[in-house]
Amino acid sequence: MPLMHVATLSLLLGALLCIAVPGNTRRAAIGIASQVVATLLVLAAVGPVLGHHPAIVAELTWSYPVDLVLLRIDGLGALFLAFSMPLTLLGAVYAHGYLQPYFKSDRNIGVHYALLNFVSLSYLIIYSVENAMGFLLGWEVAALAAWLLVIWDYRNQKVRFAGFNYLVSTHLGVLFLITAFLVLFSQTHSFDFSQFAVALHNPGMTRNVTFLLLVASFGLKSAFFPAHTWLPRAHAAAPAHVSALMSGVIHKAGLYGLLRFTLLMGAPDEWMGWFLIAFALLSAVTGVVYTVVQRDLKRLLGYSSTENVGIACLGFGLGYLGLTWHNPVLVVLGFAGGLLHILHHAIFKCLLFYAAGAVYSATHSVDIERLGGLARRMPQTAVAFLLGGVAIAALPPLNGFVSEFLIYSALFDHSVVGGQNRGLLVLAATVLAFVGAVSAFSMTRAFGLTFLGAPRDPTIHGAHDPGPAMRSALYILSVLLFVFGLVPQVGLALVAVPAEQFIALTHRGLDVAQVLAVPLGLLLPVVGVSVAVLLLVGALAVVRKWASPTPALSHRTWGCGYTQPVPRAQYTGASFSGHLASYYKTLLPIKITQRLPTGPFPPEAYLRTHAVDAVEDRMFEVLDTGEATLALLAEKAPQSPRIAFAVGLLVLVATIALVLASTGGRL
Amino acid sequence: MLASLVLHLLGLVLLPFLLPGVINRVKAWWGGRRGAPLLQPLWDTRRLLGKQPVYSEVTTAVFRLAPLVVVATTLVASLLAPLVPGAGILPFANDFVAFAYVVGLGRMFLMLAALDTGSPFEGMGAAREATFAVFAEPALFLVLGTLALGSGHGNFAELMLPHGWQAFLVSPLCATALFLLLLIESARLPVDDPTTHLELTMIHEVMILDHSGVDLAMMQYGAGLKLTLYAGMLAALVNPFPAHNQPLLSALVSLALMLATAVAIGFVESLVARLRMRLIPQFAFVIAALGVVALLLATTQPELG
Repeated sequence: MPLMHVATLSLLLGALLCIAVPGNTRRAAIGIASQVVATLLVLAAVGPVLGHHPAIVAELTWSYPVDLVLLRIDGLGALFLAFSMPLTLLGAVYAHGYLQPYFKSDRNIGVHYALLNFVSLSYLIIYSVENAMGFLLGWEVAALAAWLLVIWDYRNQKVRFAGFNYLVSTHLGVLFLITAFLVLFSQTHSFDFSQFAVALHNPGMTRNVTFLLLVASFGLKSAFFPAHTWLPRAHAAAPAHVSALMSGVIHKAGLYGLLRFTLLMGAPDEWMGWFLIAFALLSAVTGVVYTVVQRDLKRLLGYSSTENVGIACLGFGLGYLGLTWHNPVLVVLGFAGGLLHILHHAIFKCLLFYAAGAVYSATHSVDIERLGGLARRMPQTAVAFLLGGVAIAALPPLNGFVSEFLIYSALFDHSVVGGQNRGLLVLAATVLAFVGAVSAFSMTRAFGLTFLGAPRDPTIHGAHDPGPAMRSALYILSVLLFVFGLVPQVGLALVAVPAEQFIALTHRGLDVAQVLAVPLGLLLPVVGVSVAVLLLVGALAVVRKWASPTPALSHRTWGCGYTQPVPRAQYTGASFSGHLASYYKTLLPIKITQRLPTGPFPPEAYLRTHAVDAVEDRMFEVLDTGEATLALLAEKAPQSPRIAFAVGLLVLVATIALVLASTGGRL
Repeated sequence: MLASLVLHLLGLVLLPFLLPGVINRVKAWWGGRRGAPLLQPLWDTRRLLGKQPVYSEVTTAVFRLAPLVVVATTLVASLLAPLVPGAGILPFANDFVAFAYVVGLGRMFLMLAALDTGSPFEGMGAAREATFAVFAEPALFLVLGTLALGSGHGNFAELMLPHGWQAFLVSPLCATALFLLLLIESARLPVDDPTTHLELTMIHEVMILDHSGVDLAMMQYGAGLKLTLYAGMLAALVNPFPAHNQPLLSALVSLALMLATAVAIGFVESLVARLRMRLIPQFAFVIAALGVVALLLATTQPELG
């Protein structure tokens, strides 16, 4: 624990110094240095925990009414700390390149770095406290720091709106969380998680309600459908590294919360497992379908977060079923698959956002319809984006495939009893296959239209690969894609201890090592397939070189007889997704504004299509009309005695009902 | 094992050329022509290998990488897919998932190469391929998942084995679904027209418009191999002789069934008009519907319930 205290101190001191010290270069250096110190210390502290050492335990005293805060870093917390801290450090390094244009201005970069330190600090709190008050504190620190990071470009009204939208949404989530904590407090008269665990172990209505409240809150935090509306706006508005950290790292806290309370709850009910699976698939499908039509690269990546947390949660739902069915293999496949997917998603999503950020800083645009042909001018960024795209579409040989294969293995697991159960899981696998195919669609579209072909907009020129700070982040994450994709032992070693914690919930006295070996046994042949593909591509390249000794000719693209091709005639993002999007009109309403040419000498004509978020659209509509209706009622009520009487009666009935309910019907 | 291995090697070397040849011959007969030699695709390939490739000025390394990835992924997929029931070359648990995703990687590079040329035609082909894959891939998982559930086996070769009284209902439904899936996946009528590359009909042929020489040969071999794999899957499912009892007979029956599949494709191509693009997802829904019915039948299997 002393290591963790020093890490906290380093982050706080770093935050203070970053703001106080003059000179932006120095501020950034201090920020990064304090992050390096904290990251190394935290890794040194949590490393042993992930290697089967006992959990780190400590106590903090706080003032009334909390008194005592227990700190405990077990395998689950250690895993989240082990990837959150280094990736945030990498974000701080990337920021050094991304914010370079501001370094010479009179803006204080130190504030930004201080906020990044506070983000890291929030991990230290959330992933270690065993107390509801402490948990809420960490939750707020993360929310406020993320909000302030998002509105970096605060002079832009759209950015301020996106930030405000995020702030409101995240606090709606906190309301659910507080409600859940208060329900538990009313049962236990304590804010300690250990006391919560006692209350949560009893099946019954209280536990069910608390579970639903917690899922609502954590779902909002991790941007599950339909609570995702803040996410695409925030991700499009924030600087690239902030989007990357929010999507890949910060909002994984929601899934952490779900897992933490699963550990507290013990053996769940069966309906909870099915509920989580349905909830997860809904998010995965809607998230990925939204990516189909986006023309803003960062917005597209934002929606794909909703998809990927859904996939991870699908794993957890399967783990829940394994716990209720006393099937340790299903438990380990579900939870290890889900946890690995969280880890893998953090890596490839950060990579994709960093590549998109490199595009933005080179071209000042992330609009797919205006870009094109960037691979020639930014080859390294293009490779990074392509690798990230292959990984996020869960294709071999990269890491996304590994975690999704584990989840598929859970879905097709033969030890599941009951034809109906297995039939439902096969249907879930079909849905997951749909998600994978749509994800491949979106990534092909995003990469193909942004980086390949000819440039679409002649006003965008002079694009080039980013500087060393940003490139280093791209390199490191690209290598990690291969490491986790081809050496599954690394990822499985990281999730082994947390997976063991979940097995221990219902299976005592079991040969854990044997169960933990199951995922590796499943993954080794898969990795063999990936390696075979890579080797075969290499071998075929050699063969092709040998088979065609004559040098190739270079010529214009064959235009089917048309000899004057123009770049604007290329397929656009809207035309690429038009057919597919037409099947999901309820989810992807396209708003069209147009003035079509009429008459023999038409005036200027135009046609604009704009894909809006159906849920957000409806939400704003309801808020709008709801406000109008309320205003109308408020105006009319005093004038019309009948309405006033009706309202008064309703209030009276509700009050009496509440009083009766609180006394349990015994007056 | 040996017989199935020989069939597999034959499948890799000869069938990708022979099956399209058979299809073309059947179509020629229906059209009242004598038709090209059965191995014409092989001679075409040899001719292409001798040609100097031409690359578009717009293209990047992705374009040159794509044929390699397409052939490599299809070859690796061929090691996973069964051509005879009960015997795969490299069987492992849930290898059919790996099969689908390895093929998916090849598909992604095929589409990217098309987009790399900057040609509006090829972009259109890529968009269509991507769109129809969205509907075809879940259908494949539904069919294979149903077979895995019904047979109680987790690897590709064994799940094709005939199993119990359900075989009479589940297998024919799945075989029909696989045949329809084959028409989508190997770009055949009524989904795609392999004889044209006009913008109204094109999906696969238009994506390889700009490939030439050895690259075009690789793309065509990859497409032929994919056709072979799907025909082989179908043969393995219909084949009543498991490989471990009568290996030679099983291999021969599978070979005959694959040729029969090619003849059936020739019949379909001669007698059926191409569907409008709008209707192709509905076509995939038919496959999914067959899969769902098969799944419902498989879940009522007594020993599982």
